[in-house]
Amino acid sequence: MTVKLILRDREYEVRPGMTLLASLQKISILPESVIATREGEMILEDEILKDGQTVKLISVISGG
Amino acid sequence: MKCKKCGSKASVNMRQHKLALRKDHYLEWIPEQTERFIKKYDMFRREEKILVAVSGGKDSLSLWDILQRLGYQAGGLYIGLGIDGRRRDVAMQRLYDAESHRLAEKFASERSLNLHVVDIQQEYGQPIPVLADISHRGQGKPCAVCGLAKRHVMNRIARDLGYDALATGHNLDDEVAALFGNTLQWAGNFLLRQSPVLPSTSGLARKVKPLCRFYEREMAAYALLRGIEYIYEECPFAEGSTSIYYKELLNRLETDKPGSKLAFYLRFLEARETGLFASAPASAPDLHPCPNCGQPTSTDDLCSFCRMIEKVSANPLS
Repeated sequence: MTVKLILRDREYEVRPGMTLLASLQKISILPESVIATREGEMILEDEILKDGQTVKLISVISGG
Repeated sequence: MKCKKCGSKASVNMRQHKLALRKDHYLEWIPEQTERFIKKYDMFRREEKILVAVSGGKDSLSLWDILQRLGYQAGGLYIGLGIDGRRRDVAMQRLYDAESHRLAEKFASERSLNLHVVDIQQEYGQPIPVLADISHRGQGKPCAVCGLAKRHVMNRIARDLGYDALATGHNLDDEVAALFGNTLQWAGNFLLRQSPVLPSTSGLARKVKPLCRFYEREMAAYALLRGIEYIYEECPFAEGSTSIYYKELLNRLETDKPGSKLAFYLRFLEARETGLFASAPASAPDLHPCPNCGQPTSTDDLCSFCRMIEKVSANPLS
């Protein structure tokens, strides 16, 4: 019973039934610093993540 | 969350504007807002020629895409820096420079746009990391030399090829990180010069930042939703940089207080406009043309870039 979140080469697991926002908070990722996609579609913070789903996180911070 | 325009499921939420939009409405909203900022800050006019500095990243390619969609005459400039981003654990990964160049070329050819390419090593003998090593600038990191070389080349190409303005893809997070750093240092001269537009002066092309009011997250969303293929890997020298650290700090603030980054930037522009950072009468540097390249400099002899190249040419193996 897990939801998988992937950011670059790191994988995180959270329990299903939480919103994307709560899931990001759980794994200490700032919502402002990423965009979340599920099956290629962008999803928003209020999206409830279900068992077996994989969310790909795209870091948006760049620059030197 | 629902799209404010049509009520269907939204793809992008901008908490600072209390605005959520569906994909197609978002892809219309970004160019509309860009056009508004171009006019508001009097960046350039429709009949003018714009040179877009493209790195292969999400911001510069999105900027070029937006200007093209808005009908502006925009050419691109890619500067080959000679930076090798190969990771030890991924043997076949393309070099950072080669990949960013490929993506800039791909973007241009798919849209039949004109891309100018300047390769630093071909033109000046060495790639950026070697120029930095030999010239002993930048305390072990090539970022200072990279910035100096890019500013020099961008200005040269804009002037030589008759462009009216040089556009860069700086987004609001870039601007706010720079503003935050300059404020921590009370760097008055830098604060005075930070603006959506730097007008042309003798020998210096006009510089404009049409994306300066969009959050970095919004530009990444635009690139993804438009299907723009951009270089996702960071410049290997940017890792651990101060500007990325400031961006993370500011995103922490933004998460707790939506709109903080935008308010910081807009209140700064207002304060600057109303004279809070008025320069001391004698503080404006006296600029004159560099005897070698002709670009303006405040130094007595060669400009910083030509001095660096002279030093490197004299000590190629040191």
